[in-house]
Amino acid sequence: MTGLLGLSWRLLRGGGRGGLLGAGLTAVAVAVSTALLLFAVSANLAFQGRAEREAWRNPVAADADAVAVQAVRRDYVRDRGVTVVDVAALKPAAAPPPGLERFPAPGEVWFSPALAELVRELPAGELADRFPEKIGGTVGDEALVHPGELVAVRGQEPGSPVMTVKAAQDPLTGTAPTRVAGFTGEPTGDAQAYQALALIATVLMAVPLLVFGGAAARLTVARRDQRLAALRLVGATPGQVVLMTVAEAVITAAAGAVAGVALYGLLTPLLGGIEIAGGSWFAADLWPGVPYTMAVLVAVPLLVGLSAVVGLRRVVVSPLGVARRETPPAMRVVRVLALLAVLAVVPTLGAGTAAGVVAVVLGLAFLAINLTGPWVVGLIGRITARTARRPARLLAGRRLIDDPRAAWRTVSGVAMTGFVAGFIGLLSPGSGLLGDADATTLRLTVPAAQVSQLTGEARERLSAAGVPARVEVTGKGGDRTLAVTVTEAARVDEAVIDRARTALDGMVPGRGATSEADEELFGVLLLEDVGTGTVVVLTVSFLVAIVSAGITAASSVLDRRQTYALLRLAGTPLEVLNRARRAETLVPLAVMGGGSIVVGMFCAVPFSFSAMNVSGLTVLLACVVLGFAGVAGAGAASAPLLRSVTANPAPRPD
Amino acid sequence: MTAVLEGFDLVKRFGATVALGGVALRVGRGEAVAIMGPSGSGKSTLLHCLAGIMKPDGGEVHLLGQRIDTMRERERSALRRTRFGFVFQFGQLLPELPAEENVALPLMLGGVSRGDAVRRAREWFGPLGLGGMEGRRPGELSGGQAQRVAIARALATRPAVVFADEPTGALDQATGHDTMRLLVEATRGNDASLVVVTHDPQVARWCDRTVEVRDGQVLASAGYGAPLPPGGHGAGGYGDSGDFGDFGDFGDFGDSGVSGVSGADGTATRILPGVNG
Ligand SMILES: Nc1ncnc2c1ncn2[C@@H]1O[C@H](COP(=O)(O)OP(=O)(O)OP(=O)(O)O)[C@@H](O)[C@H]1O
Ligand SMILES: [Mg+2]
Repeated sequence: MTGLLGLSWRLLRGGGRGGLLGAGLTAVAVAVSTALLLFAVSANLAFQGRAEREAWRNPVAADADAVAVQAVRRDYVRDRGVTVVDVAALKPAAAPPPGLERFPAPGEVWFSPALAELVRELPAGELADRFPEKIGGTVGDEALVHPGELVAVRGQEPGSPVMTVKAAQDPLTGTAPTRVAGFTGEPTGDAQAYQALALIATVLMAVPLLVFGGAAARLTVARRDQRLAALRLVGATPGQVVLMTVAEAVITAAAGAVAGVALYGLLTPLLGGIEIAGGSWFAADLWPGVPYTMAVLVAVPLLVGLSAVVGLRRVVVSPLGVARRETPPAMRVVRVLALLAVLAVVPTLGAGTAAGVVAVVLGLAFLAINLTGPWVVGLIGRITARTARRPARLLAGRRLIDDPRAAWRTVSGVAMTGFVAGFIGLLSPGSGLLGDADATTLRLTVPAAQVSQLTGEARERLSAAGVPARVEVTGKGGDRTLAVTVTEAARVDEAVIDRARTALDGMVPGRGATSEADEELFGVLLLEDVGTGTVVVLTVSFLVAIVSAGITAASSVLDRRQTYALLRLAGTPLEVLNRARRAETLVPLAVMGGGSIVVGMFCAVPFSFSAMNVSGLTVLLACVVLGFAGVAGAGAASAPLLRSVTANPAPRPD
Repeated sequence: MTAVLEGFDLVKRFGATVALGGVALRVGRGEAVAIMGPSGSGKSTLLHCLAGIMKPDGGEVHLLGQRIDTMRERERSALRRTRFGFVFQFGQLLPELPAEENVALPLMLGGVSRGDAVRRAREWFGPLGLGGMEGRRPGELSGGQAQRVAIARALATRPAVVFADEPTGALDQATGHDTMRLLVEATRGNDASLVVVTHDPQVARWCDRTVEVRDGQVLASAGYGAPLPPGGHGAGGYGDSGDFGDFGDFGDFGDSGVSGVSGADGTATRILPGVNG
């Protein structure tokens, strides 16, 4: 056992310059995969963390054992939302809300750090006057969704108007006073929606990552199989060959995984700055924690080892399998049927389908594309080889037929990205829907009985605050709306609106004056988040795609260095070899990339809010251009490698 | 005899190692020259210098009177592609290409259309005993068969000189002899010269001349070789198609001086494409 491991270690070290380069490439691939995998895991954990930290503001009603009353209201300052939570203890022993060291006494207010700073910065008439209470302390991070979140927690008497009013049950404006047994609450629907989106994004990123990891593992095997087949020929048992392969792949992958954790650590400050739902992330959000990190550190080398075993199956089954390269059996059409089967399921989905189901179907579609890919590549190869007139295309076509899986590995990343781009491109809602709502008219819902009295009070408050405004009454029935339009013709800026908001604050218990633009804020943020998410997912996919294209291109040069060198000695121009290598990547890329985009778009049809729109098209176009340029560039990057490995006039197989 | 290839005073150093210490070699038209010598004596280096693969540190190499060692890599590469043929020990065939396309590849690189190239490639298979193997891939051929495909590929472009570095080094002796005999016959039959590095004295005897290399110096140049043994494989009979009017544009050499080598059965042995294929 130790003898075998020692031998594997020597094989790994003794592989020469090419061998070490191959192992290095594997390690790099594994490191990138690991870093991205950690990112995917952390992103989900981070959204879960946000949901949990926000849950206490989404009260669950309790009857008999209530210890407190809680009301939540959405207020606005500038173009940001402020969450105002009013709490009143019903029992002296009531535990404080999360993030507060004690239960706020009536007449006390606790600010989140960002709100405290804003209160200090802005003129009192624009924000601070809304909170005349005594400052009790600072709301801790454990009760905040993100570091910049604006939250105020006020202590009230249980009998105060704010705690007894029947506010409208509108989730946009807040939650009416609720008797609660504690401040655990439950995750809001919005938070759950974000978690679902994060899960889908993870699937979109994870499958290419797995494919990539597998490719990296086979990269080790590809260079080794010749030698291992030789070992098998001299009598090594299948078990020994497998063990040695696994040992070598796992050693390399473990080193790569550790480097990946370090890489991720370096990237977290950058990733933490990505704003979602109006805010960036706490450093701890993006740290997946020791158990998950350990799990990734163990799982990645294991997966790579497993993938190596699968790649070696042929050598193990027959010691001659690799030494004598036979025509690989043609791939079965079943692969295409798998894709068609998954696609048949897609139309049954809809906007109402559970996110888990959508994620599973997307994952299956992904895997099906991955199954179909090599088959299609083989087909493309046969067509290319049959129609080729020049040597380069003939070489490319024959190579595609010979090892469609290898060719697929090179382009799969970009093809997968095409799928993602197609999916998201159709999914992003039109940008024209939002953004031009009225921001100058604040509306306040008032009981019909008090309309005239409150209209007068509003006028008084506004003129006291020096805000020139017109106050009108609209609506019928029990609730009327006071529409306050700021009328200073010359300049209506955010500051004036905030003065008006502050002036009207507290006039009707539990209600604030909001504009249409305020109410739209959530939608605007969501739209921005979809855009951000798209960019993140596509960036990750492209990173994977291009690194994987570069690595496979380099490894194919290394694999075939002897033949390439001898061809060059016999006078074959390097340009022909490079042209062949280019064609063997770009031809399948064009077909598979285009095909994947179409499949991705098809999968998005049941969910699309609108027809194909300009921003979606732009993203798609950018993807196509970037994909081609990236893969072509990554392939071209190994041209110097080709030159150097073919420069040796006495090439020997290693 | 007209010299096709000539090396004068060839010097090649690798750091402190002097691989060639002033070697001269002259290869006549259609002549088969065996290079022998112990391992590390500089045989491969000599071959590489003559074939324009390496630039010697000193001396000159002339092909048909034209100096080639000073040419730039691009020109030498074109020269190797069109004027020289190569047979290496193994690994020179592209594993994913069928045998006939491996042979056709240099022709296609020279601008011959694919259809013509494959047709001309196929003509070699019969005479070399490879009938029916046109569509097989190198992995599906035996070592000896693969080397015969390599010989066909080396000759397909009708080169002036074929270089072979231990072309049978990876084969057993009997197969090696068969293959080497075919190589010598086929190059002769096509008016090409042959420079072959070998460790096998028997093989060397089939060549016209043996050059002994020792420590980077040519020791001796032994005389003409022994007659070739009779064909022992299923290649069928050899005929004489005679006409080689399309042989290169290296001018008129007059008498080839090589067609007179006899096999043991007394018939002229010439392996030519397209005969009995
Ligand atoms: N690329 C190189 N770098 C350094 N030294 C070299 C290189 N190529 C050859 N040599 C040295 O030059 C000398 C001649 O080498 P060469 O390959 O010509 O020997 P050879 O006669 O072909 O041997 P063999 O029969 O083993 O193939 C040897 O001492 C060898 O070590
Ligand atoms: Mg040698």
